[in-house]
Amino acid sequence: MWHTYLRPKTVEEALQMLAEAGEAAVLIAGGTDLMLDLQQGRHPPVQALVDITEIPELRALEIRGDELFVGAGVPLNRVAASPLVREHAMALAEATSQMAGYQIRNVATLGGNVAHALPAADGAIALLALDARAEVASPHGRRRVPLADLYLGPGRSALKHEEMLVGFWLPLTRQKAASAFRRVMRPQGVALPILNTAVWLAREGDRIAQIRIAVGPFGPVPRRATAAESVLCGHAPDEATLNAAVEALLREARFRTSRYRATETYRRHLAGILLRETVGKAWQRAGGE
Amino acid sequence: MNTLGRSLRRIDAADKVTGKALFPADIDLPNMAYMKILFAGRPHARIVSIDTSAAEALPGVLGVFTAKDVPNNEYGLMEPDQPVLCGPGSNKPYADRVRFVGDQVAVVVAETEEIAARARDLIQVEYEDLPVVTDPREAMKPDAPLLHPELGTNIFTHDRIRKGDVEAAFAQADVIVEAEYHTPMQEHAYLQPEAGVAFIDEEGRIAVYVAGQWTHEDREQIAHALQLPEDQIRVIYPAIGGAFGGREDMSVQIVLALAVWRLHQRGVVRPVKIIWSREESIIGHHKRHQYFMRAKWGATKEGKVIAAQVELIADGGAYWYTSNKVLGNAVITCTGPYEIPNVWVDGYAVYTNNVPAGAFRGFGGPQGNFVAEMQMNKLAEALGMDPVEFRLRNVLREGSLMSVGTPVPPGVSIAQVIEETAKAAGWRKGPEGWYRPEDADDAIWPHWNGLPKPHIKRGIGFAAGFKNVGFSFGFPENSWARVELEGDEEIERAVVYIAGAEVGQGHHTAMLQIAAETLGIAPEKVEMRVSDTAFTESSGSASASRLTFMAGHAVKGAAERALWRWQAGERPVSVEFTYKAPPTTPFDEATGFAEPNFAYGYVAAALALEVDTETGEVRVVDVILGNDVGRAVNPQQVEGQIEGGVVQALGWTLVENFIQQDGYVVTDRLSTYLIPSVKDVPPRIRPLILEYADPRGPYGARGMGEMPFLPVAPAVMHAMRHAVGVWYHDFPLTGERVLAGLEKAAA
Repeated sequence: MWHTYLRPKTVEEALQMLAEAGEAAVLIAGGTDLMLDLQQGRHPPVQALVDITEIPELRALEIRGDELFVGAGVPLNRVAASPLVREHAMALAEATSQMAGYQIRNVATLGGNVAHALPAADGAIALLALDARAEVASPHGRRRVPLADLYLGPGRSALKHEEMLVGFWLPLTRQKAASAFRRVMRPQGVALPILNTAVWLAREGDRIAQIRIAVGPFGPVPRRATAAESVLCGHAPDEATLNAAVEALLREARFRTSRYRATETYRRHLAGILLRETVGKAWQRAGGE
Repeated sequence: MNTLGRSLRRIDAADKVTGKALFPADIDLPNMAYMKILFAGRPHARIVSIDTSAAEALPGVLGVFTAKDVPNNEYGLMEPDQPVLCGPGSNKPYADRVRFVGDQVAVVVAETEEIAARARDLIQVEYEDLPVVTDPREAMKPDAPLLHPELGTNIFTHDRIRKGDVEAAFAQADVIVEAEYHTPMQEHAYLQPEAGVAFIDEEGRIAVYVAGQWTHEDREQIAHALQLPEDQIRVIYPAIGGAFGGREDMSVQIVLALAVWRLHQRGVVRPVKIIWSREESIIGHHKRHQYFMRAKWGATKEGKVIAAQVELIADGGAYWYTSNKVLGNAVITCTGPYEIPNVWVDGYAVYTNNVPAGAFRGFGGPQGNFVAEMQMNKLAEALGMDPVEFRLRNVLREGSLMSVGTPVPPGVSIAQVIEETAKAAGWRKGPEGWYRPEDADDAIWPHWNGLPKPHIKRGIGFAAGFKNVGFSFGFPENSWARVELEGDEEIERAVVYIAGAEVGQGHHTAMLQIAAETLGIAPEKVEMRVSDTAFTESSGSASASRLTFMAGHAVKGAAERALWRWQAGERPVSVEFTYKAPPTTPFDEATGFAEPNFAYGYVAAALALEVDTETGEVRVVDVILGNDVGRAVNPQQVEGQIEGGVVQALGWTLVENFIQQDGYVVTDRLSTYLIPSVKDVPPRIRPLILEYADPRGPYGARGMGEMPFLPVAPAVMHAMRHAVGVWYHDFPLTGERVLAGLEKAAA
């Protein structure tokens, strides 16, 4: 186990600690995934843990200009309960409120959910549909990247060792636009979902003007179901269009059978159900009907 | 002074919530060493050789022990058919074989846990793999690989009941229902994985702190394997983090004692501690048996069941454990709490290379009652009769002959339990008998999910159940207690000595209440001294829903005798008393004729659920659980047992899925073996505590710890039938299984 536990107070201090300690150091926030990985040998041993939960910037959750900023170190319960998140990013509120159990949600963070890079991570799937951009800090400065650019493979983040997530920038909601999230799992709360779906859409009269759909696990990394988006965009979400969208989604998806959780067949079946429901819910929310 | 029947605060409550209570893993002794176990990790093999030299050479290693170090290399609660450590050089034949992944091969003791783990990984074992059999139906075939070659078969128990003439009765039946069922394995998943500390005590005994269910049985098994007199061994139970039957058989007890003893013989006197990880716990202890069952029942149009034929095949896994007794219970309960004139039952317990199966809350009762209640609900439907009315036309009543040909013990309350539970669930009695008016639903079941959607189907189910209280089949059934009284004019202090295990059920509190009630003193004046073989005799096991009944009698009897002497002027008083239960007898080999039990508990459940026909998700919204407890010693603890039993049974029915592949455990941690979380608990569980005194019980109390588990699974299946028109014969009811059933029904 580690020998050093560091508690930086700023992002810059954290980056410096990471750089100085080299590969033997790793960031820790809630630690709900990392501690298990370390205990069970899925993560190489570390010498130092850099605790980033005392960095005020990472704990911020506020409107900044015309965007909503959610710090990477904000615990899931705070995300779920935030009136700002409920107003501007309902899918994220729904996702975070269903993740894990209450105690875990008190410590687990949104940044950790994204950095852990699992293809079905509820928080990441919601952020994808909401078109969030991640702010990444590195010794060379800061940059904002689309969420999808953070992934290399299942459990493999594109973040480099000397980098860290600062937070997520989400567009503010606007007239006739809304989002929704649903997942199916067994049992409730304690494990990864069998399947989840997040949808954001904007209405224009009786048509969908814009739509983003994310499904997890959809493939090796979290990504959007763009084929289904194309089918729905510009159309009313009527039965025929939804059928076509489900078909497109199933053509694009790379579902797998997992030994403990579910078969590919069941996931294909659920994908259609969840898509219809989340599109329907977002459509209603966007219309104010 | 009324102490009985009050929800007294548990005497262990404050210590447990503040963390003061010590569980075995919390106990550290000076100069302690640490142990790790090398598990087989393969389902069936012969060990050709074990090389421990590298492990022994590792600095910090104090000792490595293998089969050759075990004086008498065998153990088992019913039959000693399992090696303590598998490997060559043993004093028993075939002890060089491993028969499931959790067989223990070697133990390492070292200065730290890390060194012990590293040394364990340095042990070289050469295996010669043997053919694996994992389906008990395959294992029954004559050409199957044999687990225990000396027996010549894998079938280690075959129970029969032959009552009346089932064939003749089927010929007269108006309806016949036939089906095959499968009930799955279940992991106990108690909060506290196995752990213990062994040391040489001040009197030179080998003492073991451990969490078990029966101190004196642990002591006997340790003594048997070490070939030492029992008084050379001491077993102490500190706080126990749940048991549910999973601690009835040995886990760390014998190897801890062995290591301490062997080190002591080398002049190394060190306490030794071990804590199992969750993964070690899941492969290392037994599971609930999976059962493959076939049933054919016949009834007349008047609603009388006249014939029941049942075949039960229990997957015993690699060793005997308590399979014969579990099977016996299933054989008795598989025809339900009903009087059926013609019964034919064949029950088989079979060895396979799966993780052994053994005691788990209900002990064969859940499997047996499942068949019976499925058959009853199907027959009621086939007859067009209300399931409650149909049951009441067949239930056991005082003096009824059971399937085993003898009268049911006195205090038969199943009719009242069914009626009270049905009433609470909206059933009414009309001129034609019991019926359930559909319009009663919304008031009775207020937890339906808002506005019903077309793809959400609602169902209501009913089932009953019964099970023995206490040891069965002629097993000597007794329980010991001592009561000491101190004071002058008045009794100032009473000390109660018992060995019964407090596994979380509230046993010690209940015994304190019985002592205070009997002595007529305030509960604050009673002190409990518990669970240490150094100063208690045997109270028997915390199992078979027996402790309130058996130890209750022992404490009551000792307290009565102590009070008698106190009133005669004796100061101080010390009285021991051993309660002996009415005798029982084993099955007659050919016919099953027996007086197997001296008492039963009776239970019924009505529950409401919703099925999402799109995703296959099942949500139980409300459970009414009627349980005759005879006399509720502590009603809050009874409610806790009911709620816990219902949730554990819902886990078995809906959520938990123990997967083994070719003898390897796939779900060996709690992230893959999923158990219900608090979010899966129904919005409401309504305990209906019924108190029809057991004429044989202390203050009329019956055992009840296992009963709430019994009717849940068949009630869920009944509600599923009501909701979606499908009878499910297999579970857990995962979303996938529910959908597959719907598709099959639609096709």
